[in-house]
Amino acid sequence: MATVQQQLADISVAEAGSRVQTPFERFRADFFASRVATGSLYVLVAIILIAVFAPVISPTNPYDLATVTVLDARLPPGAKSGDGVIFWLGSDGAGRDLLSSIFYGLRISLGVGIASGLVAVCIGCVVGLTAAYFGGRTDSVIMRIVDIQLSFPAILVALVLLAILGKGVDKIIIALVVAQWAYYARTVRASALVERNKEYVEAAKCLALGHRRILFRHILPNCLAPLIVVATLQTAHAISLEATLSFLGVGLPITEPSLGLLIANGFEYMLSEKYWISFFPGVALLVAIVSINLVGDQLRDILNPRLQR
Amino acid sequence: MSVFVIRRLLQSALVVLVMSLLVFVGVHVVGDPVEMLVNPEADQAEIARVTQAFGLDRPFYEQYGLFLLNALTGDLGLSFVYGEPALKLIVQRIPATLELALAALLMAIVLGIPLGVFAGLRPDSKVSRTIMAGSILGFSLPTFWVGIMMIMVFAVILGWLPSTGRGTTVNLLGVDVSFLTMDGLAHLLMPALNLALFKISLVIRLSRAGTRETVLQDYIKFARAKGISNARVVFVHLLKNIMIPVVTVLGLEFGGLIAFSVVTETVFAWPGMGKLIIDSIHSLDRPVVVAYLMIIVLIFVVINLVVDILYSILDPRVRLRDVKA
Repeated sequence: MATVQQQLADISVAEAGSRVQTPFERFRADFFASRVATGSLYVLVAIILIAVFAPVISPTNPYDLATVTVLDARLPPGAKSGDGVIFWLGSDGAGRDLLSSIFYGLRISLGVGIASGLVAVCIGCVVGLTAAYFGGRTDSVIMRIVDIQLSFPAILVALVLLAILGKGVDKIIIALVVAQWAYYARTVRASALVERNKEYVEAAKCLALGHRRILFRHILPNCLAPLIVVATLQTAHAISLEATLSFLGVGLPITEPSLGLLIANGFEYMLSEKYWISFFPGVALLVAIVSINLVGDQLRDILNPRLQR
Repeated sequence: MSVFVIRRLLQSALVVLVMSLLVFVGVHVVGDPVEMLVNPEADQAEIARVTQAFGLDRPFYEQYGLFLLNALTGDLGLSFVYGEPALKLIVQRIPATLELALAALLMAIVLGIPLGVFAGLRPDSKVSRTIMAGSILGFSLPTFWVGIMMIMVFAVILGWLPSTGRGTTVNLLGVDVSFLTMDGLAHLLMPALNLALFKISLVIRLSRAGTRETVLQDYIKFARAKGISNARVVFVHLLKNIMIPVVTVLGLEFGGLIAFSVVTETVFAWPGMGKLIIDSIHSLDRPVVVAYLMIIVLIFVVINLVVDILYSILDPRVRLRDVKA
């Protein structure tokens, strides 16, 4: 008996000596172990800050008709405008400073991508949890619909919807939500199926808790890890998809100039070698997508239990 | 087996039916159906005639039935812009899109497999790392922007390749094709590469993963122990075994190529179905839009059906599970 107590004391002493990591600390250490992921995270944070504070940090307001003049149109990078402002990345066909346009464009592109992602996550969670929890016929009907939807490429689903609905911020968000919800539903269902049979769910059922409480307070928090990974990668996909649809002229209207529209505007000047109007917005789009993807890849490596060391 | 095929056929028919209902409701509820069906410049008499002809004064389910009946007989209305049947316009454009998609598929195989196998055989070499970094970029780059940059570099600055159109076409078995003339090939190269970029990255990843798994297998070790030349081990023993997943995935991705050709065709002004739909959306040529949506849904349903049936032939577990469920 005494020896057991002795051992317990030893353990507590050892624990006090090397403080035990909390799960979050371990997660943070794992994440920053990769230099690529660390760099990507910093870039991503910078991009989000730029998008949020675009009106404050932009050198000019590209949509203020009082200051924008056609006299400054198509200036090459580094040229000085009539007002003495330097256009570091040149100006577009209407005389707008490209750097400022890109800052404002990031705001719209990220905003649409994230907004559609949030709505799609909510729908996907409800549908996926319902399918996994109730099983049987509910499950097979829901998953058949998900399978059918996933057999069509996302761009096609969005194109069909936009061809019917027309242009607009609300419409492209609807199209992106419809194109994405099935991925989330499938992800949530897969992890909820595993959680459903665990003891804590059984315990919750024995306490006669309501279905909704068990689903959202007990099962959902345990399905978050894969959901976060998929959400990160899907958001990058949604931003790319929005840019593509806007470029095709079926996405955002001209009053909401996202990066895709900026690139489309520059397309007509391509043949006269005014590369910068399309080039720089594309680089901004690429940096945003790649940094989100790399952060997502790292999250997947950490949060996937099958890859755990 | 036949139970499985019948189930899948019924399911496909249901999908087409639901899509037709969605498109019909979308076009008729979101917008004004008369406006969709008559030329914007039509006069009062014409509007009355169309309202009568399409039964727009009748109840909704009758209208939908009429739309379905007309669609089944291949009548999807006349294009406002071209004045020809919408269906005919789209069918005429299918060969150009198919040619582009097939060329892209070929490029994905010809470029992707060797690069992927190389990266799998020497995972730590500098070249392999460059290939893999390139494939990450290939996944992330927006197709349309790469297309614009390709035009900028190869057509505008270097002047090597033409930037728009199909070039000279030759009639082969009643279908116009570009790949048999030098001019047509030059026109095909850039759009096909642009469309293929994403699939090349995918094939690189698949064949690299396959190679890394396969080189550890006993039969490869045995072949090497027998003293078989490296070339024969790689090209016969290894390649045969990594081809299965690559071919499967590429087959599944062919539909994706057709969908994404909308983007590439718009950038390179390639006169296929995708360019037609975008032009028609812009010019509010609604009969063509509706016809395109119906045809593309039909194409995808057929592709999915064929893939499903092939799968069930190759892997009996699929059809057994499905019949039980």
